[in-house]
Amino acid sequence: MTLLYGVTVLEHFRRPRNQRALERPTVSREGYNALCGDRVRIELEVEGATIRAAAFTANACAICTASASLLTERVNGSAIEDAARISDDDVVMGLEADLPAARLPCAILPVRTLRDALAELRPRT
Amino acid sequence: MPDILEQLESLRPHEQRVAMATLVGARGGSPRPLGAKLFVGEGGRLVGSVSIGGCVDARVVEHGERLLRADRSERVTVSVDDAEALELGLTCGAEFDLLIEPISLDEGDPTVRAYASAVRISRGGRTAFVVTTLTGGAARHTVHPDAYDGPQDGVFVERIAPADPVVLVGASDVAAALARQARALGLRVIVVDGRERYATRDRFSTADEVLVGMPSDLVRPFLVPGAFIVLTAHEYKYELPILREALRAPVRFVGMLAGRKRADAVRALLRDEGLSAEEVGRLHSPIGLDIGGREPEEIALSIAAQLVAVREGKSIARRSQ
Repeated sequence: MTLLYGVTVLEHFRRPRNQRALERPTVSREGYNALCGDRVRIELEVEGATIRAAAFTANACAICTASASLLTERVNGSAIEDAARISDDDVVMGLEADLPAARLPCAILPVRTLRDALAELRPRT
Repeated sequence: MPDILEQLESLRPHEQRVAMATLVGARGGSPRPLGAKLFVGEGGRLVGSVSIGGCVDARVVEHGERLLRADRSERVTVSVDDAEALELGLTCGAEFDLLIEPISLDEGDPTVRAYASAVRISRGGRTAFVVTTLTGGAARHTVHPDAYDGPQDGVFVERIAPADPVVLVGASDVAAALARQARALGLRVIVVDGRERYATRDRFSTADEVLVGMPSDLVRPFLVPGAFIVLTAHEYKYELPILREALRAPVRFVGMLAGRKRADAVRALLRDEGLSAEEVGRLHSPIGLDIGGREPEEIALSIAAQLVAVREGKSIARRSQ
């Protein structure tokens, strides 16, 4: 395995956090990159305005998997409002890697899927 | 290897009546299994075979035409005892028993109905049996999907089992070629990919199912005994999530299209993730027999040949790259 994308990507790809299916998710959304075929599903268990649990399933590259791992780690236990404020740049910076432009869609697929999930949640809160 | 309904469908636009010859017994070795069928159309069309061609099938055709004209069923024995062939040593000396029955191709024919029912049961995932009486006049077919418990005197029993699934993960050109070949070999072909542009009906017109979504989710229902899982994606993003489950499932075969170096790297990752040496050892990669081709059809042929060898319990030489 190359270290081209840095130790954080490698660590979260090899030992992803929260990579599982939630038993009773409040919301589940799947996102994909049509051309490369990355697929990621973000699941959230929500109580009131708080994300009690966040988990993901990915059939995706190392960057996308690592990004989903870091993202779910970050939003676990956080307020929905705070999770909604996470930007694409926040996620890319969190990977601590010098990503070429062509790989940015891989990095931001999870956070965009998270936003879709939160949008689905909004009318209920 | 079309099933009997597909064979009858192919005849229906051209023929109204056919003689259906079924291989019900063989002595001295038979290249085809018992139950093999040859249809002889009233208009001259032939579908299927009861041997590997040559003199046996030709004689069955003659008998079929005769029995169509007489409109009656008959048990016929065909011996390979042609004097000239014997003299030249070009005969296998085998003897074949055939049941030859005129049938009408419409849905109301009792024989067609019995096979149609059995095939539909098998397409639904259950094994059906067609029981044919060999004594008395016309043969009678009855389907016993659940109750049949073994051979009985004076009957011929055909087991019509569901086709084993082959799941092709990665809708590549190799997968497209393999989908056609595997379907012809009697497998149920399921194509899986995460990319809508690749996994299309246009590219996989002969596949039984073309599924787009999260590949590891889509493959999971097919991780059953008898299944062949073939990874043609050449994408670790699909390979790793599927291999984690497939190598621990009771499937018949798991193979991955890859060179030796890449295959070893995938094995190392799987061992790192906690799969046992035995589980990782179930992965066939590089996949395919070593026939040397490099075009998609050739690579697919080498994989299809390996699937047949596995199905037949043969040990074979695998592709080196």
